[in-house]
Amino acid sequence: MPFVKRNPGAAAADKKPDSLASHFTDLGSPDEEGRWRAARALGGKVEAVSALAGALARERVPRVREAIMTALMRVGDDASILTLLPYLCSQDAGERGAAIEALQALPEAIAPFLPKLFADSDSDVRILATELARNLPAEEATRVLCALIQNEQHANVCAAAIEVLAEVGTDDAVPALQACAERFAGTAFVPFAVSITIARISKTES
Amino acid sequence: MADSESPPGAVHVTQDDVRRLCEFIYRRTGMSFNDNKRYYIDRRLSERMAATGAGSFRSYFATLRSDANHEIEHLVNAFTVNETYFYREDHQLRCMTSDLLGRIVQGKKREDPIRIWSIPCSTGEEPYSIAMWLMENWPEVDSHNIEIVGSDIDTRALNLAGAGIYGSRALMRLPRDVIDRYFARIEADQVQIDAGLRDSVQFTRANLIDASDMARYRGFDIVFCRNVLIYFDDASRRIAAENLYDCLRPGGYICLGHSETMSRISPLFGVCRFADAIVYQKPEAGHVG
Amino acid sequence: MSDNRAASVFSKPRVLVVDDSSLMRLYCRDVLERGGFEVEQAINGIEAMEKILGQSFDLVIVDVNMPRLDGISFIRALRAHASSIAALPTLVMTTEASSQDREDARAAGANFYLVKPVAEAELLRHVAMFIGGRS
Repeated sequence: MPFVKRNPGAAAADKKPDSLASHFTDLGSPDEEGRWRAARALGGKVEAVSALAGALARERVPRVREAIMTALMRVGDDASILTLLPYLCSQDAGERGAAIEALQALPEAIAPFLPKLFADSDSDVRILATELARNLPAEEATRVLCALIQNEQHANVCAAAIEVLAEVGTDDAVPALQACAERFAGTAFVPFAVSITIARISKTES
Repeated sequence: MADSESPPGAVHVTQDDVRRLCEFIYRRTGMSFNDNKRYYIDRRLSERMAATGAGSFRSYFATLRSDANHEIEHLVNAFTVNETYFYREDHQLRCMTSDLLGRIVQGKKREDPIRIWSIPCSTGEEPYSIAMWLMENWPEVDSHNIEIVGSDIDTRALNLAGAGIYGSRALMRLPRDVIDRYFARIEADQVQIDAGLRDSVQFTRANLIDASDMARYRGFDIVFCRNVLIYFDDASRRIAAENLYDCLRPGGYICLGHSETMSRISPLFGVCRFADAIVYQKPEAGHVG
Repeated sequence: MSDNRAASVFSKPRVLVVDDSSLMRLYCRDVLERGGFEVEQAINGIEAMEKILGQSFDLVIVDVNMPRLDGISFIRALRAHASSIAALPTLVMTTEASSQDREDARAAGANFYLVKPVAEAELLRHVAMFIGGRS
């Protein structure tokens, strides 16, 4: 038979693990592969957060950027969240998406930051932030999203909040949703979205 | 705790409840159900609601969303075939011999081995299937060195894989002549796979989300990673995807389970569509990832 | 095995709607089906690519902000593809605030953009613009 049985671990096991210092150095490497490896090796290391933050600010290659964000996500403390948050304002759609994905994995840690995000003057930030409510418990998600749409003048922000409410909303959301539909009666989409969402989340009569 | 002996269907579930559930499943896994599959969903949902003692759809959905007691895994399991047997999802094996190997071989020197990884390999059906399929379907099989590795986190399963003993149910998709060639009957309902094949596969213990485990695996041409990532949470999927990326050669391929898609896992890989399967590819050297 | 459905003059034009928002996908599907189009959906650029490689479409409508593969990166990948899918007409949906997205979308090779929320008539008119041109 042409099959060769060989233990893949044999050679690699002898290799000494690199030091943190060498990973920090590699974060600044001109070689993309070196930066990728360094970011991955530093995942979850709380002492690496500021080095990762610096690397993220310079990084242009999408997959390395995402590896750095993953590394920060794995730390998941306030410092790493504060590093990731400004990327919600990025001009690069991919960068915004990557930041949201990393933050989405930290529902408990991100919850205290939501009020500020929902009050951001940039409507695109408010839109993206609605995703972060998705992994909260239903009552809390409903509360924060209803508070958002109550005073929200921007149709797309409401649309984004309604989308998340369609999954997580309790029927406490119904009054705020109805008010939203009325406020944006001039758009086709918002009343449509509201009616579907209310149908999904209303208490059924048994 | 609700009475788990209540008759199935006792809890009222509306069409909108089902839509909400379907959207949740679609978003998380990529599985979608058209209207003629609705009865199928209703049944599975009733089963899971009964199993979790849910008194209402609302409370079941809350359990599901919080993934309490791995409910997402249970629900997904209810929708997928979980039995392991030889030549499972053989369209991917066909894709391997029809499309992937030709491309892989082009990029190699003759003496470079072709390296194929099955992770998780469970009790060995998948890596042995790969070996048998290659022997049976690839004309060039004897012209190359081929390394097949099967890995799993479960050492008990790995031991069973090494022993290579199976019930006849595991053979259900195999043609008669393949069974005769590679298996010997040892008990009434037990067969053992040929010693030559047992000696052909290297079994190891590995954890997909442990980077130091995974660092031992490099330079693979094809990875079969089927029906495991669908159960991971988002964070674990990202980490596993990054690890798998590093285990592949540039231009190497990864095959997921038939209900799985990289669209729910990671943007690291390109999408390749061949006649028999969609597979994903690590970018070739020199290409932008 | 081929999933390819040839878009002939006898079948309805096929539109792929790519958006992270289930409600937006539903809205577009409702509007477009009433307008005589056949609609498929995807949740992000990776799923869109999977569908495009397996089925024939006349137009892709793609939102900018999606997880894992955003709309602009998707269009770049589409335009770089070795096959005929590279020429697929694409309509991008952006929010009002994102003028950079519109520039980036154009630079990536998008054919046109619409600003959300999109009214029915506007959606249908623009879709028809890009589909009506096929011979």
